[in-house]
Amino acid sequence: MSLAHEPPTRAAQTPVVIEELRKIYHADRAELAVRAVDGISFRIERGESVAIVGPSGCGKSTLLHVLGCLDRPTSGRYFLEGRDVARLDEDERAAARNRHIGFVFQSFNLLPRMDAVENVELPLLYAGQRDTRARALRALERVGLADRAHHRPNELSGGQKQRVAIARALVTEPSIVLGDEPTGALDSRTGREVMELLGRLHAEGTTIVLVTHDLSVARSQDRVIRMRDGKIVGDGPAAAEIEAFVQENAGEIA
Amino acid sequence: MLIHETARTAWRSLAQNRLRTALTALGMIIGVTAVIAVLAIGEGAKASVEGRIRALGSNLLTVRPERAQGAVRSARVETLVRADADAIAELDGVEGVSPESTGTAQVKYREANLSSSIQGVTADFLPLRSLDVASGIGFSPDDDLGRARVAILGANVAYELFGDRSAIGERIQIAGNGFTVVGVLGAKGDVGFMSPDDMVLVPLGTHEGVLFGQSYLGAITVKVRSEGESEDVRERIGELLRLRHRLRADAPDDFEIRSQTEMLATMGAITGTFTALLGSVAAVSLLVGGIGIMNIMLVSVRERTREIGVRMAVGARRRDILLQFLVEAVVVSIFGGLVGIFLGWLAAFAIARFGGWETIIPTYAYGLALGVSIAIGIVFGVGPARRASTLDPVEALRQE
Repeated sequence: MSLAHEPPTRAAQTPVVIEELRKIYHADRAELAVRAVDGISFRIERGESVAIVGPSGCGKSTLLHVLGCLDRPTSGRYFLEGRDVARLDEDERAAARNRHIGFVFQSFNLLPRMDAVENVELPLLYAGQRDTRARALRALERVGLADRAHHRPNELSGGQKQRVAIARALVTEPSIVLGDEPTGALDSRTGREVMELLGRLHAEGTTIVLVTHDLSVARSQDRVIRMRDGKIVGDGPAAAEIEAFVQENAGEIA
Repeated sequence: MLIHETARTAWRSLAQNRLRTALTALGMIIGVTAVIAVLAIGEGAKASVEGRIRALGSNLLTVRPERAQGAVRSARVETLVRADADAIAELDGVEGVSPESTGTAQVKYREANLSSSIQGVTADFLPLRSLDVASGIGFSPDDDLGRARVAILGANVAYELFGDRSAIGERIQIAGNGFTVVGVLGAKGDVGFMSPDDMVLVPLGTHEGVLFGQSYLGAITVKVRSEGESEDVRERIGELLRLRHRLRADAPDDFEIRSQTEMLATMGAITGTFTALLGSVAAVSLLVGGIGIMNIMLVSVRERTREIGVRMAVGARRRDILLQFLVEAVVVSIFGGLVGIFLGWLAAFAIARFGGWETIIPTYAYGLALGVSIAIGIVFGVGPARRASTLDPVEALRQE
């Protein structure tokens, strides 16, 4: 895992540092330009759990794609484990996704033709590692689904699917787990179970960043970042920020 | 990702959709089957031509009259005579000579009646052509001189006239003249046009004096002592005949000399041309098969856009995606190729068994078919695979 240019004490380093980050669509044509993410800066320390909230269109999904190295910022800097993502080429970004990022999607995004353990194994196969099966089984154990290892996604309930997806996100021991509305497709009870699982993983030291507009999901994180029109309008402890968010949106919600 | 993992993924995705995979491979299957069958027929024909060359012996020359340039097409070709044959027999390096005359006449035995090629030959004809009588006897020099009314029947002619009964000693009518059958030739099977099976042989003297009333020869077959002397003997015969026919130095030959080997080589070349022609028609269907693969792969990429996005999100590089789809295309085309080889083998067998053509699948055909299959998979798979690998992961994940 350790590369020559990475500091040997990874734990000591801030995994995510973002400085003046911008993502502008149609940047070449002023009249069409959409400033989806418009000059934001923040850091995420190891072991934090952060929720990014905001109304639809506030740029939180775009931010998530940039954080996940699926998309490149138009300008600004994004250091993931000390390396500037904007300077990575496509293969290096794929490797960064593989090594440092674990995605949990709203719609699970399990591959339907593979059983649970094969889905979890996939990132390890792309990493070209050995003992992939054993490690995938251990990850399934962590999410409490060892007994469902050979079930296909269509044989699993929604909550189970999301737990398989979480196991897939964890299996490479990434720097951060990125969740995009992880409870959005689940009923409230299963949603709570999934949040409890994420809470437990967080307690075990996993760094978690969730994009959500479910306030109960946001409330269970340490820290909340509020976004509006591509800018950060609030960043602080969960309780205070949620209070501010509710105040701000009182008119719209009612 | 390791290649065997990629292959496993490809195989699984194909196995999931058996009917589609089979239909995709169908074009390849048909193409490869056709190519294998055509090659087998071509190779079989070549082998049977070579077999004939070997059976004939390679040291025979055939001298035929050649009509003079500009002569009317239907003009009778009257340049070779028996004296020419006798003179050739005296040449150094010549082991035997068989003057032959041809004609066509009605042959009758009781109610049975057929039109047959009547060959006037001497006693030397059978040994020179490596032919033998299956029953009865051949001609003697006296038969020729005495214009004896005796005939030797080719196997097919004998069967047509007499069925399974013995023909020896029976009286038949050739162009209204009574002949006694003294021999029947052994069956040679199909040896191309002018098969001895379909001929009636009579003494040359009888042919000239009794049946057709003309003394010009259709051909002189010359047996050369050894194959190495063949070219020298051919030159000597040429000089001799020009001299005997009093041709001026600038006049063209009024005869042509060809070796049997040459004639069969010509036939072999024709067979080869046919094989190449049919083979390229079959190859076009391989092309169509490749386009079929490309078509389905494009559909597959579209359908699995989200899967591609997920794979990219968990760390697949562009070349991993490229390889995955390329391997899928190649697996389909190899599958098509293997099934095609099997069906081609079956077709070759059936053609030999029921069509009566000799078929041989040359060993290189297996390698060729497989190699071409792989190449087609790559050539037609690389486009769709590139398309898959250049998808934007964000867009791909958004796809329903």
